[in-house]
Amino acid sequence: MIGALARLASGGPARVFPLVGAHPPGRVELLRLGNEVTEDVTLVDSPRAATVLLVAGHIPASLQEPARRVHDQLPHPRSTVWWVGASGSESGRESARTPFGAGTDTFPLVLVESGTQADELDALRTLGRTLRKMVQDLVSGVRPSEPDLLPDVDPTPWRGVGPYGQGGAGMTGGVPYGRPMTERAADRDGLELDQLPLRVGPYFPPFPAGLVLDLKLQGDLVQESQLGAAPHTPPARIFATALAEPVPIATLELARARSHLAWLAHALHVHGLAALGRRALQLSSRLGGVSSDARFLPAILASAQGEILTLQRAIECSGLFWWSTRGVGVLTESGLRAHPDALDAGGTHALGLGPVARAAGLRDDCRVDEPAYRALGFEPVVQAAGARSQVGDASARWRQRISEVYQSLDLAARAGDAHAWGNGIVEGVRGTMTAGADPQAALFALIPDAITGRAWEDAVTTVVSLDLGVGGAVQDVHPWAAREQLRARTRRDAAAGDHEMSGMSGMAGM
Amino acid sequence: MHAVAVFVLLGAGMYAVCVLDHLVGNRVAGQSVRVCAAFAQPWQSAALELRTQRVTTERPDSALWALAPALLGAAAATAVATVPLGALGSGAAERWDVNAGIVLFGAAMALVMVAVYLNGWAANSAFSLIGAYRFVAQALSYEMPLALVLIAAALPAESLSVGAIVQSQASVWNIVRQPLGLPIYLIAGLGLAFWGPLATPDAQDLAGGTEVELSGPALLLWRAARAGVLVAVAAMGAAAFLGGPLGPWQLGLVWMAAKTLLLVLIMLWLGHRLARVRLEWFVRVAWTVLIPLALVDVFASGALVLWSR
Repeated sequence: MIGALARLASGGPARVFPLVGAHPPGRVELLRLGNEVTEDVTLVDSPRAATVLLVAGHIPASLQEPARRVHDQLPHPRSTVWWVGASGSESGRESARTPFGAGTDTFPLVLVESGTQADELDALRTLGRTLRKMVQDLVSGVRPSEPDLLPDVDPTPWRGVGPYGQGGAGMTGGVPYGRPMTERAADRDGLELDQLPLRVGPYFPPFPAGLVLDLKLQGDLVQESQLGAAPHTPPARIFATALAEPVPIATLELARARSHLAWLAHALHVHGLAALGRRALQLSSRLGGVSSDARFLPAILASAQGEILTLQRAIECSGLFWWSTRGVGVLTESGLRAHPDALDAGGTHALGLGPVARAAGLRDDCRVDEPAYRALGFEPVVQAAGARSQVGDASARWRQRISEVYQSLDLAARAGDAHAWGNGIVEGVRGTMTAGADPQAALFALIPDAITGRAWEDAVTTVVSLDLGVGGAVQDVHPWAAREQLRARTRRDAAAGDHEMSGMSGMAGM
Repeated sequence: MHAVAVFVLLGAGMYAVCVLDHLVGNRVAGQSVRVCAAFAQPWQSAALELRTQRVTTERPDSALWALAPALLGAAAATAVATVPLGALGSGAAERWDVNAGIVLFGAAMALVMVAVYLNGWAANSAFSLIGAYRFVAQALSYEMPLALVLIAAALPAESLSVGAIVQSQASVWNIVRQPLGLPIYLIAGLGLAFWGPLATPDAQDLAGGTEVELSGPALLLWRAARAGVLVAVAAMGAAAFLGGPLGPWQLGLVWMAAKTLLLVLIMLWLGHRLARVRLEWFVRVAWTVLIPLALVDVFASGALVLWSR
């Protein structure tokens, strides 16, 4: 009976809670695509519902304690899989034997290393197989469940007289036995109500890994919010490269389109549209495969635009713009300008807040100053107030990014092998990047003002709509470079055909 | 005998919900539909949950936490028991029919709010508690339209017995003479089963809300009971608006099952195609649009009954 149950259990999908560290070797969220791409793997929203903890990349030292806590929240049987990049890619880190920091190597860890595969899905297939194998080994008892990393004790002992620790000594300072007493404060209607102090993050699934907010809630209303720690999501590598040297516009715009689609997939999942999110994810991953088909790039991009149109209609029909995002998290032009962290580069792109500023109706895009983009007739997409939509709210940011996906695919198809940037400034996925400034920090600083006084659901909608990063960065694809390689290979093959004999004799001579 | 039938059908309904949800989800995602996997997955997931530890939190209200899924499941079973399952006229259906079935259904479904609140509150966890708050706000908004459209369905029968409501549809189904009824009922039903656009208490923005701390058998029971509520909603919808077991060739149970599955399918499809609502928006719309429309439904149905006498 137990054996049959174990056999049955091991056949199902592996339930995985992802912990994204700094520099993950790939995009964990692609595991959501399931059996078509990888093995059957389900990414769950709560560690309590998971069997396997997937640590992608290295956990920064400051986050190792929370990571241990998440580990211990998984029910038995449980196991950890550590997914890291090819060894040697990050010097000095290989010596670490566990992602959770010193003194935690009490159980054998399963390490999945992925090299620099041409296709990001290849790495995920290996990972998916390991995750499935892990669940099978756990339920059949081949692999023991992992012990706790932290002692299983109350944060402070309950020593009170009453059943909830009340009474007795130690109630001074409003912190009886280490637990803050409920404080009361006026709510938005002027009533004195209880406040619930709550720390959200650093591994709260709707938010990017590393983001910590310290909140005071009344019911589900955010009364106070303070920034705890910033997320640690890196942008796609191509944007960092573009600061120093010219890069192909096609590569850059494809990376932008895929980043926006990855955001879209995540945001759809958070809004309860997981199935549509998988569609966006598929599109994002399929655009990553264009490098092998470079000759058909314009046709592929046109067909992708068609699919995005279908997806956009589905999103419009879902009521998302109507009852989930409309009027939520409004960031107006004046509000953005007043913000001290806004990048003040002067001129037309004063803020450098990318899609967030453009959704607020600002023509904030440094691509307009880039000659190669001007040659393509580039004009930034900017949201305008309509009869049924306003500028600067979460819904405008959703529309903005969907329009930018179109625009980026169009630019990528027309750009040929034109190169741009390389002079220390680049329009990244989230805004204007310079050597010293990353728009992510400015966007992060916008959070408290945008969510204070809002219901929790609106606060999450707002933070998600700012796009502070999702899982890992998309990999660079170089369609035109690949075409050049293809041409070169064809020429080489032709040459080899002509001089086959001499080539062979040459080799024989070596 | 009736109890056995109710539990078998409820169990089959829960299984059907899991299978159909998987299939509909894959279809909406544009992925290939693997029928075998869809049929196997509920069993595999259940087996895995049964072999997983049930974790507790710091100082939960253990008794109430254990009670919550049982209460939700019991409410679903009670609601299904009020629905005539087989062909009327065979004697058995009449004997099982509760003479105020609609009232009993409403009473059972009111307990859903208690079960969800207990589940969220007893875990002693912040997100779980916020989920519980949310459901109370939501419940106050969907219960009124739900009750009103069911009263309207009872008017032509001039009886609160579900069997009589089904009999009253022998000539024409309620969906035809009360076109407002079923749409309002399905919206309220999604709220009752906290499914899809109205899955606010266990939403992704709370990392699972009322079920965030559940693991292993507790999670399995909770999700099964929630699927049971969806089945109960669909079964009552089939009986009150689609003529229940009525249909040609005296295939009572088959018709009942087919109509119930159709409504389940519609609700699952809506669940995958509609974004989760902002609660504030839903409360406003429920009180300013749904309840007035439900009242129109009641008055129009009453007028129709008087006129057709």
